[in-house]
Amino acid sequence: MSIVALSTPAGRSAVAVVRMSGENSIEIAKKVFSPFPSQPNFLKVGCLDVGEFVERAMCVYFVAPKSFTGENMVEFHCHGGMAIVNRVIETLLEKGARMAQNGEFSKRAFINGKMNLSETEGVIEMIDAETIAAVKAGENLLSNNLGKKSVQLQDKLLDLIAKTEVALDYPEEDLEQQTLLQMQKETQSILAEIEKLLSTVKAGRIAKFGIDVAIAGDTNVGKSSLLNALLGFDRAIVSATAGTTRDTLDAQVVYKDTKFNFVDTAGLRQTDNEIEQLGIDRAKKTMKDADLILYVVNGQPLEKQEKTLYVLNKSDQIDYSNVVRDDCIVTSAKNNVGIEELKEKIYQMFCADEIYSSGQMLTNARHVDCLTRAKEKLQSLLDNLYDTTIDCSALSLRDSWSALGEITGTTATEEIIDRIYSKFCLGK
Amino acid sequence: MKEFDVIVVGAGHAGCEAGLASARLGHNTIIFATNLDTVAFCACNPSIGGTAKGQIVREIDALGGQMAVNADKSILQMRMLNRGKGPAVYSPRAQVDKFLYHSTMKQTLETTPNLTLRQAEVVSLQKDKTRFVVNTSVDVKYQAKAVVLACGVYLNSRTIVGKCIEESGPNGFKSAKKLTDSLVKLGFEPLRFKTGTPARVLASSIDFSKMEKQDGESSTSHFSYMNKGVPAQKRSCYLTYTTEETKQIVLNNLDKAPMYSGEIVGVGPRYCPSLETKIERFSDKERHQLFLEPEGECTQEFYVQGASTSLPADVQEEMYHSIVGLENVQIMRDAYAIEYDCFDATLLKNTLESKKIAGLFLAGQINGTSGYEEAAAQGLVAGINAAKYIENKQPLVLTRQDSYIGVLIDDITTKKSTEPYRMMTSRAEHRLVLRQDNADLRLTQIGRDVGLVSDERYNLYLEKVEQIKKASDCLKQILPPKAVQETFELAGETLPKSGISVKDCLKRTNINIQLLQKKLGLFEGFASDVLEQVEINTKYEGYIAKQQALIDDAEKMENKKLPLDLDYEKVSGLRLEARQKLNYFKPASLGQASRISGVSPADIQILIVWLAQHKNND
Repeated sequence: MSIVALSTPAGRSAVAVVRMSGENSIEIAKKVFSPFPSQPNFLKVGCLDVGEFVERAMCVYFVAPKSFTGENMVEFHCHGGMAIVNRVIETLLEKGARMAQNGEFSKRAFINGKMNLSETEGVIEMIDAETIAAVKAGENLLSNNLGKKSVQLQDKLLDLIAKTEVALDYPEEDLEQQTLLQMQKETQSILAEIEKLLSTVKAGRIAKFGIDVAIAGDTNVGKSSLLNALLGFDRAIVSATAGTTRDTLDAQVVYKDTKFNFVDTAGLRQTDNEIEQLGIDRAKKTMKDADLILYVVNGQPLEKQEKTLYVLNKSDQIDYSNVVRDDCIVTSAKNNVGIEELKEKIYQMFCADEIYSSGQMLTNARHVDCLTRAKEKLQSLLDNLYDTTIDCSALSLRDSWSALGEITGTTATEEIIDRIYSKFCLGK
Repeated sequence: MKEFDVIVVGAGHAGCEAGLASARLGHNTIIFATNLDTVAFCACNPSIGGTAKGQIVREIDALGGQMAVNADKSILQMRMLNRGKGPAVYSPRAQVDKFLYHSTMKQTLETTPNLTLRQAEVVSLQKDKTRFVVNTSVDVKYQAKAVVLACGVYLNSRTIVGKCIEESGPNGFKSAKKLTDSLVKLGFEPLRFKTGTPARVLASSIDFSKMEKQDGESSTSHFSYMNKGVPAQKRSCYLTYTTEETKQIVLNNLDKAPMYSGEIVGVGPRYCPSLETKIERFSDKERHQLFLEPEGECTQEFYVQGASTSLPADVQEEMYHSIVGLENVQIMRDAYAIEYDCFDATLLKNTLESKKIAGLFLAGQINGTSGYEEAAAQGLVAGINAAKYIENKQPLVLTRQDSYIGVLIDDITTKKSTEPYRMMTSRAEHRLVLRQDNADLRLTQIGRDVGLVSDERYNLYLEKVEQIKKASDCLKQILPPKAVQETFELAGETLPKSGISVKDCLKRTNINIQLLQKKLGLFEGFASDVLEQVEINTKYEGYIAKQQALIDDAEKMENKKLPLDLDYEKVSGLRLEARQKLNYFKPASLGQASRISGVSPADIQILIVWLAQHKNND
């Protein structure tokens, strides 16, 4: 049965695209659109007869298997009002199509062998992307780089499994010791490759969700002014009264290809005020969870601390020329001095390496989960190699192989597939 | 016309089990053999068991089959292979007296009620409505309600030694030339497979002093769960090697090997290659290991394991003489290759019954398998199901989750064989649960329900289950650190800080149940096979639990049955290749469908949805 859905966002827009996929989608389209395009893949202007009125629209069709879903497909590009779109979809339903479920277009593309699992996930990541870095990571999935890598690792494991099985099924060849040594060496090498992939998780998260930056420090050092300067507009209330900021306040800014998630926090000091104390507790939690703390001071920076950058603020009033430390940066939030330099410094700290700019990193929790399980199996094999017997080690190899296979869906079970597709947005 | 309930064609390892099973289940059964001297004949190596095969022998035994019982009576020596590699792959293997094995089985057939053994070549098979009619070469016809074909390697077989080709079955026994045509007419698709056997040589001409003697172990118990204790070790085997000269002789004469000159068209097994194939394929290997195995107690003949060949007889002689210790050996029977017809087993159900012709069962090498044990296992299942067919009762279906036999039958009926199929432990995804030590616990109840397990065997089984339960109760006991100190120090294990359960003691790498028994007086009065179960279940608890979870998952897929008459062309969403494959194989369940090559996980998803919808419509 053919499925239909609006592919562009719902609401007022200049143009809206309604898509239909399925064996009889072209037949259905011919009933409502004329003159129907004479050949596939060409957009044609014509009239879409929806009964109550005639919509001037454009139509293009694709013939199976050369389409996104691998089935016959039709797209109508019509005017973007909701009334028009709803009527178009209703008409198509009347003519025999049915409403697509969440993710059904992608699911059909997967089922028809057009994409593997990680590629379809690449599609959704690209749609969801808010920054260029996230688009790159999604594109990396869509071009099946992770898929290829996991197939490669699976191949290596399969070789090792085969060697192990020979030792088990052909005892007369006496291969036990040799096999154990091979198993140790090759498992270590595969493990190292998986760990390398997993080491990109943080970069992947940053590409997708941005860098979490906490702005912290004593009261009245200019934290809220700094936030406003970073954003380029007044977001936070600024006053000379110590302890103005109580609750945490977050705001995002996109710098180059990456999102910065700034959180302004309450100034840290001893207080009897219950509400202010709650704010300070929140500030501490924010600092703990952040990727980076911008610790604002008016005067000498404290000792070097992990994930902390000292912002020596109020340079219009204080002379910082004696401070030369790479974990310090001099600003005057009030006069907008040093702000661009601060952004660049943050960017350099997190986004300067090659992996980040190539987009080859893990951005999907499911992939991380598969790789982590594959890694754990191999780790436990190595830990127990000489305490257990080869038959059990062989089992760990197989488990690891199968966890890797879940990435591209070659070993995916129905539960996994269902879970993935339910996350897809309508129309894709 | 003579009338029987079941006709079994062939008296090899498959035919014997099939005939015994159906006769024991109360059906008047006749077994035909072209020559009664071929009954349960070990045409190749004089041994039973081995990796994965030993497991099958124990399974046959648990189900009430004959192979293990008779093998136990003819053991020359016995070993447990793969000791040290883990219980999942422990495999019992015995050298047997092949003459004794033959005569013991023949006598078993002769003395079984409801069973007739008859020398005659079956030349045709027909079915009219409900009855099968077979004709023999002396033009005497027989009819029956069900037929089991267990023709082994005898159909249109020819033996090959260099350029000399004979229309013959193994060991000079005559081949069966007409039955294939009859089966093709019934819609079966013939394949041509090949196998081979090495020369037999005279013991007194072998220089054993140049070889390494290999004796059996006194600790490996009999194949059958009914035979307690260990068999006597009567004969030795000998390990030797090929030489550089062997390699040269083979390479110089490769053009005379029928495999390379094009005389042999059949497909041979990769895992059991001829010596010329081994030397050619592994040309960097300096020498190949060979074993000399006795053929029986009252013969001087030895079997040269690992040196099968189809080179010309004069080259063979030269080649065998180049082997260490065989310099002056006297060849008694030449090595030969044998080619034969077999049939595509994917046309069978997982009961071994033909999908097209009800009441017709195929078992053994005719299904493209190799090995005595694989054949016997299929014979047993086919014989049982021929009986169930006549009784109009549910057939016996063994699964990948309960046995190697289930794995075997699922494999051959799901994947088209392109070479002779041999069982290996790696084919069983749940092998940590499908062990040789627990075949009785897995299958005795099934055999009892079928009707082949005697009261004596069943009671033994029930008693063992009870004992295991009792012995497992001891695991909960908590021992103070002081009590285990000596034992732990002896074993080189770090001492526990507080009280430790017997179970946790047993989980330590260097502590086994015998040690606990000896040092701490635990588990007293339990039999060793009972303690073995307790020990394995404890030491491998985590792995076994994981495997059990996988088995439960797999079970769900196997329980989703697909109708045999389902037309997959009508299931929308399936890819073209999947539709064709599914229509060809007509799988019994979603589980089986998922193992067909060309059917993807996505296709299975669509079938799941289809099944759910179909159920709602009913």
